[in-house]
Amino acid sequence: MKFYFSLQFKMLNRQLSDFGILPIIGYFLSLIAFIGLSYLLFYATEFASYIYILIAFGFISKLSDPHRNSFLKNCFSKKKYFQIRLLENLIIGIPFILFMFFRTQYLSAGVILIISGLIAFIDINSKYNYTIPTPFFRYPFEFIVGFRNTFFIFIGNYFLTIMAITVGNFNLGFFSILVVFIICMTFYSTPEREYYVWIFSSNPKKFLYRKIMTAIIFSSLLTLPILISLSIFFPDKIGIILIFQCIGYILLSTIILAKYSDFPNKINFSQSLLLALGCAFPPFLLLLIPMFYSQSVYSLNKILK
Amino acid sequence: MITITDLSKTYGPKQVLVNINLIFEKGKTYGIIGENGAGKTTLFKCIAGIEKYTGSIESKHEILKNQLGFLQTEPYFFSKITGLEYLQLLCNARSVIFKDIENKNVFELPLNQYAITYSTGMKKKLALTAILLQNNDYFILDEPFNGVDIQSNILITEIIHRLKELGKTIIISSHIFSTLNDTCDEIHMIKNGAFIKHVFKEDFGRLEQEMKDFTIGNKIENLDLK
Repeated sequence: MKFYFSLQFKMLNRQLSDFGILPIIGYFLSLIAFIGLSYLLFYATEFASYIYILIAFGFISKLSDPHRNSFLKNCFSKKKYFQIRLLENLIIGIPFILFMFFRTQYLSAGVILIISGLIAFIDINSKYNYTIPTPFFRYPFEFIVGFRNTFFIFIGNYFLTIMAITVGNFNLGFFSILVVFIICMTFYSTPEREYYVWIFSSNPKKFLYRKIMTAIIFSSLLTLPILISLSIFFPDKIGIILIFQCIGYILLSTIILAKYSDFPNKINFSQSLLLALGCAFPPFLLLLIPMFYSQSVYSLNKILK
Repeated sequence: MITITDLSKTYGPKQVLVNINLIFEKGKTYGIIGENGAGKTTLFKCIAGIEKYTGSIESKHEILKNQLGFLQTEPYFFSKITGLEYLQLLCNARSVIFKDIENKNVFELPLNQYAITYSTGMKKKLALTAILLQNNDYFILDEPFNGVDIQSNILITEIIHRLKELGKTIIISSHIFSTLNDTCDEIHMIKNGAFIKHVFKEDFGRLEQEMKDFTIGNKIENLDLK
């Protein structure tokens, strides 16, 4: 078991190195980002603790992949398997629990602790997985796969919109639009296998156009219930809603271009930094988008002609 | 027709394909055989344009890859995509109208299930169905019979015969000699990245015997089985 965790630690360090960053700096920046984003969330909304629990659940449930757990079951005894699962879940849950303790929200901390423990004992059998329906059938694959992996966040998010309307808090509703775009951006964070680009009989420009248009249409579909509800209940804010919807489209397009800019390699640290700068200071996107676009066309030219 | 001229491929200092010259004609099926690591898959990737190479690969189509169906040895599937969505994706990619799938699902796959839950053979059959739906002119089938049940093997053999009748060019690699015997017009043998033998259908029996003699030798005696 000790070897398993040291191997996981080595793998994480290798991933950070591949990302183009020293592991120690990676851990430090992750800690800063975690604390910063947590503060931001609690500053933005009074319902932060519910969202925080949902986010913690999302991260912990990532460790419940049936194929991964089937491998663990094959390697370890039943007792060791559950020990590993519990420990892994706790490692992910502890930062959330500590932050909740720090904010003296002991009940929420307890809920995350219980979730971390319970998920270890829930066995998801991939053979009998229920196929989650999506409205994206005609144009696989990013939104189909992404939606199925994060559908519970969308349920929570729509609930957040209802709360925003109920309590008359526009900022909360606005936050739920932001969440949709952040989640959609994660659908494009990892490059697919080369084969899934190779199959396309289009040139790089048409390929990118198609990807971006699909992302805009499908993200609109996911934000539409929120947009309509907010427009009805906060009619004076329609202008702001539409401006941020457009910013969402631009950010989504930027991450798609960033994804293919060094394809088939993953987005590296310097690209992530540029993306973060673009998010923080949107005018910078005017430089960033053409740069990522020309890099993407160059990278894709090797596979698509 | 695909014409390969002076094709070479290196990975760093290692040369994996050495000066290959081949012609794959229309309406014919070609078998590529060789030991693991001989260079079969690399050659396929070069033809598909996935790998860079020196030399030339030409066909009547300006862009060969857009008319090529490539069945990979181990097809990769996304974790939460159904068989039906996979077929739709591959049809979309080639702008092929996606229709009448129920009839075209000849392997009777559970298309509404996630493809990742399929067995090895079912995954291969799904990937094969997808490239058949694309109406390609050329096919590269990298070990199409591996992990597939006997009934489906019979069906795949018949599909290859039909593709040949339709004038398609098919290149197959297989480690099961009988499957090549049933489907191919010619077999090319690759060793250490170079083609060392080229055999027509009438000599397949002799090739199989030669391979048996060379491969087995006295290894069975050496095992000293008791």
